[in-house]
Amino acid sequence: MRSITNKNINTNYVEFSPGNDPFEKARQIGSRRWILSHIFYRSNKLLFIIVLFTTILAANLSSAILVVIGNAITDFLIGKQSSLLFYTTFILLLSVGTPILRLINYMLREVIAQRLERDCRKEFFSNLLGKSQSFHDQQKIGELMARATDDVRTMNFLISPAISLIFESFTSLIVPLFYILAFYPSQLILAPLIFSLLFFFALKSYTRKIGPITGKLRSFYGMMNSTLNEALTGIEVVKASAQESGESKKYYENANNYRDAYVEQGDVEAKYLPLLILALTITGGLIHAIILNLIGLMNIGQVIAYLGLLALLRFPTFISIFVFAIIRLAVSSAQRLLEFMNKKTEIDENVGGYKNEIKGDIKFENVIFSYPGSEKKVLKNISFEVKPGQTLALVGTTGSGKTTLTKLISRLYDVDEGRILIDNVDIRNYALNSLRNQISYVDQDVFLFSTTIFENISFGYTGSIEQVVEVAKEAQAHGFISNLPNQYYSEVGERGVQLSGGERQRIAIARAFLVNPKILILDDSTSAIDSNTEDKIQRAIRNILKNRTTILITHRLSQIRWADLIIVLNKGEIVAKGTHEELLKTSEDYQRIFIKKFDVEIDTLIKRCEEA
Amino acid sequence: MAYGWALEAEEYDREFSDRFLLKRILSYFHPYKRSMSIVIFFISVASITSAFVPVLTSIIINNLETNRNIFSIFAVIILILIFNLLSYVFNYFQQRYAFRVIGGVVLDLRKNATDAVLNHDLSFFDRNPTGKIVSRVNSDSETFGTTVDLSIQLISSILIVFFLLIIMFFINILLTLAVIIAVPIFFILALSFRKIARKKTLLGQRALASVNDFVKESFSGIQIAKTFRQEEKLYEKFNKVNDTSYKVNLRRAFILNAIFPSLGIIQGITITLLVLFGGKNVLGGTISAGDLNLFLQGVNYLFFPLLSIAAFWPTFQAGMAASERIFALIDTLPLIIQNDSIKPSRLKGNIEIRNLLFQYENNKGVFNNFNLSINSGESIAIVGHTGAGKSSLAKLLARFYEFQGGDILIDGISIRNYDLKEYRRQIGIIPQSPFLFADSIENNIKYCCSNAKKEDVINSLNATSGSDWIEDLSRGLETDTGERGSRLSMGQRQLVVFARVLLENPAILILDEATASVDPFTETKIQDALQKTIEGRTSIIIAHHLWTVRHVNRIIVLDHGKIIEEGNHEELMAKGGMYAELYNTYFRHQSLEYIEKMKEIKQI
Repeated sequence: MRSITNKNINTNYVEFSPGNDPFEKARQIGSRRWILSHIFYRSNKLLFIIVLFTTILAANLSSAILVVIGNAITDFLIGKQSSLLFYTTFILLLSVGTPILRLINYMLREVIAQRLERDCRKEFFSNLLGKSQSFHDQQKIGELMARATDDVRTMNFLISPAISLIFESFTSLIVPLFYILAFYPSQLILAPLIFSLLFFFALKSYTRKIGPITGKLRSFYGMMNSTLNEALTGIEVVKASAQESGESKKYYENANNYRDAYVEQGDVEAKYLPLLILALTITGGLIHAIILNLIGLMNIGQVIAYLGLLALLRFPTFISIFVFAIIRLAVSSAQRLLEFMNKKTEIDENVGGYKNEIKGDIKFENVIFSYPGSEKKVLKNISFEVKPGQTLALVGTTGSGKTTLTKLISRLYDVDEGRILIDNVDIRNYALNSLRNQISYVDQDVFLFSTTIFENISFGYTGSIEQVVEVAKEAQAHGFISNLPNQYYSEVGERGVQLSGGERQRIAIARAFLVNPKILILDDSTSAIDSNTEDKIQRAIRNILKNRTTILITHRLSQIRWADLIIVLNKGEIVAKGTHEELLKTSEDYQRIFIKKFDVEIDTLIKRCEEA
Repeated sequence: MAYGWALEAEEYDREFSDRFLLKRILSYFHPYKRSMSIVIFFISVASITSAFVPVLTSIIINNLETNRNIFSIFAVIILILIFNLLSYVFNYFQQRYAFRVIGGVVLDLRKNATDAVLNHDLSFFDRNPTGKIVSRVNSDSETFGTTVDLSIQLISSILIVFFLLIIMFFINILLTLAVIIAVPIFFILALSFRKIARKKTLLGQRALASVNDFVKESFSGIQIAKTFRQEEKLYEKFNKVNDTSYKVNLRRAFILNAIFPSLGIIQGITITLLVLFGGKNVLGGTISAGDLNLFLQGVNYLFFPLLSIAAFWPTFQAGMAASERIFALIDTLPLIIQNDSIKPSRLKGNIEIRNLLFQYENNKGVFNNFNLSINSGESIAIVGHTGAGKSSLAKLLARFYEFQGGDILIDGISIRNYDLKEYRRQIGIIPQSPFLFADSIENNIKYCCSNAKKEDVINSLNATSGSDWIEDLSRGLETDTGERGSRLSMGQRQLVVFARVLLENPAILILDEATASVDPFTETKIQDALQKTIEGRTSIIIAHHLWTVRHVNRIIVLDHGKIIEEGNHEELMAKGGMYAELYNTYFRHQSLEYIEKMKEIKQI
């Protein structure tokens, strides 16, 4: 067993990992390396090589056509009738062969690109699943979404078309040079050589200018997403406060910033210098070829072919305007993805840890806790013990630390100081899987997935329909579920049936029943929905308390009254502790609730209590 | 399968005709007329200068072939240089203005779409997931902008071809026709791809949208997944959705990428034909080598825009589909009916509901011939079982949903005649589950009224539960509440909402089970505050806390959308009907006796 006395930070902590992770190392090294490791992942390698090869071949064919055309014109000019059929067939073969090669090239490139998108998204998703709750608390869903969708998509565009076009332009920059050298006076490569050099520097300065603008565009885009997302999630409040125009304005500001960055991008692109360099190069090459023709070193057919070869430089010049922008974009997208994936998470899965079945004895020893990134202590010197099978009720004003305390037990967060023991073993020594499997939550803010009720109940443990019906009965949920149009197969959430708070809660209780945990944390913020429902919830809660240790945060006085131990929290500290009877005598805060509620004297309360 | 619906069309999708779509798109360019005409001007002149460069080149070649006059060759070269420089400068201006126009159009489109979405009634949001709406507003408009950018570039190369063809026509009609004949073939091929490409693109985008939706939901409910150790399950489901998207999008990509090479083959054949016929002409001496070169170059110039149409067809398709999706979103009619826009100064709060007929879109009937009148300043409580229609009544009063029949009159005027926003400003709702924005507590409280001062914020806090709990937070009123208020507890969130609504000072206050998620400690505080806050306004309290109900003038007992009893607490108790039954069950739960006996019940 691992020693826990020193809490050493390990950057590779994960709470979930689906098998091996081939990109882990590359992620640590950096975005470029990570992108490469995806491109060369498994069979992508082979596809990639074929793509390269066909690109080079296609570039050769395009150059060869021009040489052949040049020769043809020369022969036509000297009146060689017989050559017509030969040239025509030859040109037909070359000019039809090129697109066929391209077809193969594009198909394979698409496979790599789509795979890259799929794999990156998969990696991102599983990585986020592995992050601790404290990480997720700090994320805005909108930001996260922007990464999972658009940034991942950019990785696709990186291959198709960006990288594939870069190869294509690189080869169409180089290959014509060889053809000029092979077929024409070698001094003619002067113009394209100078071009290549100037092009390189102009491009470099261009990408340097466009880079920061691209970054700005991305971040404003992310903000546009998150503002709109939030406004729509809280649409009811927006409407009730008649703040539609306010939200619209907020969104507009972000969209406006985005527009400004876009215009800035346009200004840089408009000045794209290689276009001018190309035009001057072609003119220069023309002058050069004319001179050679005038002094008799080149015939007209050759001049035409040479000009054709120079025209091939158009492709890399035009393409580079946006291709490098895509690459920049992809690299910054990759950085944003990695920034998330490489974020440290402090909870360790501890696969090799303690896996025994727990009895349910919970002990807090001087626990101190503050949320990550905050100085403020939310819990101070918390010590208590709950025996197996007992019920502990936590009471206190809102914000006193009740919910936080429960979150520590299943290690959604780790304590700062002190320790928490279950069956006398520090919870950090348990395998996280084993620990969380034996602890269940019924949350105050019941979250249901947009899927069927059946799937929601069997979320924690996949049960048969019979089992699900049985636990739903125990949780007093069977009644209302049976009245739904598709019963257990009714969809809930955005597209399905709308459930009330009490109904959601009973589904959550059914969910917990099915898992049958040794420790249950019931954070029950609903109270007295209606009398009928109240009866059912009471019964549901009563049922689930049996045979397990339960920590209860509830507004139901009847549940608090009969808890084996009641802890009164105030500002993160235990101010009173004991049974109902003890607290009525010792805690003024506790007394007041009952006095106000029932309009009785404290003596009556204590008397009633002693009678019972 | 839970995500099976993902590839189906959204209910607000429409099929627009291309002509209509184009007209609609053009209307967005209207405000940028001036910049747009600058763009068009520079595109035109840049095209002319660009088109002349190959013509001048072939003049030089012809000259080399015939009289080899160095001076005229030199003069033409100077011309070429000037034209090249001009093209660059014209292009520069064209681009600068084009980006301004596109940026503006996309911005307007986004604003319109956002405004349309924000103004929809709540039934729209019941039907459409937030993730998909956001993706429509943001990514679709982005795709649209890219398409416009490409289209402008396309126009410029089409113009070049146009000018070039005119010149070629004067040189040799037959060869020109040989070149042009490829164009219809080209378009027939491109158009036959069009339909299937468009369909595949829509499918691809929808598949992607459902991946997005899944990711969003997974991380919204991540805490549940973590506590139940169900990451694996989510991961498997995600893989399914993600793989579907991969397959659909790969198929789409295959189709789209086949277009370019297929058209390349046509280009190859055209060049071959040109060499064949042009070669014959050169041999026969009817055409010069320079002219043949011009025609060969002409093919490249001609095919450049054609190929870019094909190459950018995916984007172009996506752009059309995207604009279609946005317009569909903008055009979805809000279901709220407005007959007038009376701006009330201050409502008195007299409510009269007459013969109300209401059902949700899923045909779940709620009210049929429902009548109720509430006097100005009166406090009424509505009690009843879940599903009796209590919350629906509150939502109808807030105009979140539209009713189908009857009328609701406020101060004697139909609710449909008031200006929607002014009206809502005077209605305060405290809902069952509090929603906060990811902002400071202070800004959350003064959400309705951004001009409110800090004292107002503190006053409204004091009017509910006091502000001492705020002081315990790390940064007081400045504390960031986190997404949906996740950094605060449920009770704290509800207190913020209470303060928010009080600051609004509504004429009509609706509390929808508002204290349901507040702990007993805080609840006792709110109890006191509530008495004060409902004074001077019409209050509708949907409650299960009968302590509030007891202090209310009139209690309405609702059952299946019908009022079955009404009166004050004593009257209703004396009547011994449903209220008495509800009350007795309630009392049994909340009474000291019940609580004391709970132990026995537990042991049953």
